[in-house]
Amino acid sequence: MKTPLSSLERDILSAVQYGMPVSRSPYRDIADKIGISPEELLEKLREWKAEKKIRRLGAIVNHFQMGHGAGAMVVWKVPKSEVDRVGDFFAMVPKVSHAYLRPPNEQWPYNLYTMVHASSDKELQETVNAMSVESGITEFRQLKTVRELKKVPPIYIIEL
Amino acid sequence: MDDLDRRIIKELQENFPLEINPYGILAETLAIDVDELWRRVVDLVESGVIRRIGFSIDSRKMGYSSTLVAVRIPPEQVDKACELIDRYPQITHSYLREDAFNIWFTVIAEDRSQITKILDEIRIKLDLAEEKVMNFPVEKLFKLDARFK
Repeated sequence: MKTPLSSLERDILSAVQYGMPVSRSPYRDIADKIGISPEELLEKLREWKAEKKIRRLGAIVNHFQMGHGAGAMVVWKVPKSEVDRVGDFFAMVPKVSHAYLRPPNEQWPYNLYTMVHASSDKELQETVNAMSVESGITEFRQLKTVRELKKVPPIYIIEL
Repeated sequence: MDDLDRRIIKELQENFPLEINPYGILAETLAIDVDELWRRVVDLVESGVIRRIGFSIDSRKMGYSSTLVAVRIPPEQVDKACELIDRYPQITHSYLREDAFNIWFTVIAEDRSQITKILDEIRIKLDLAEEKVMNFPVEKLFKLDARFK
């Protein structure tokens, strides 16, 4: 099954997936590369933004350099009936950047995944402990990042 | 990094204009000269504070499939796994974590069957038993906000 993208949409996605050029006229540069007018490009991008296919555009910062050096993935074992309550609660915690429900399995009973960021290990521990106490979820596992192995923009259109 | 840099980053993160002259508009909002803004943007990019200026795409709404994968692999095989992971453009983020399941990565592909194919290939190439590779597709999104505050 291919994604239902038009050929123009594939061209645009292919041109923007690596990010915008560091240029004072980024849209003009992208449009030139595709061979369309900047207005055509902006129209499609605004449409995608309105449809929320583009969630956000702008600067993507390096958390480590911004002083958010301590980060961990914390996974929680939440009873099915409490998933919405706890998920909504975690989503409101400012130091949580991501919160997802994912399926557990026999060797991995955790179902709620959160990414927690803090400036120090101490602050991270305090945040995670508070999340546990306030949510009432006591079974959790903290997976500290040892090393970032790879971080690249998602590639949607793979040039062969 | 000073206060103006922080204000610039905040604007660049939250309000990057979909207009032909985005930096002109940003300079006006920040009430600074556009050349000063541009000089600082280039510095922030070159020093690596800003990874890139780009688009955060909702892969699902765009018609794609994605998942989070955990792999349990002996420490001496981690380097080999990294090399393999690097070769897949569909694998976007990968972290080494402190756990028996030590490698975690995200995959974005055109559909589910392609994800299955990639995971099968990785399992075979690293000679891993079925249960050493866990697949965790999202069932519900509660929050996704990677902006610096």
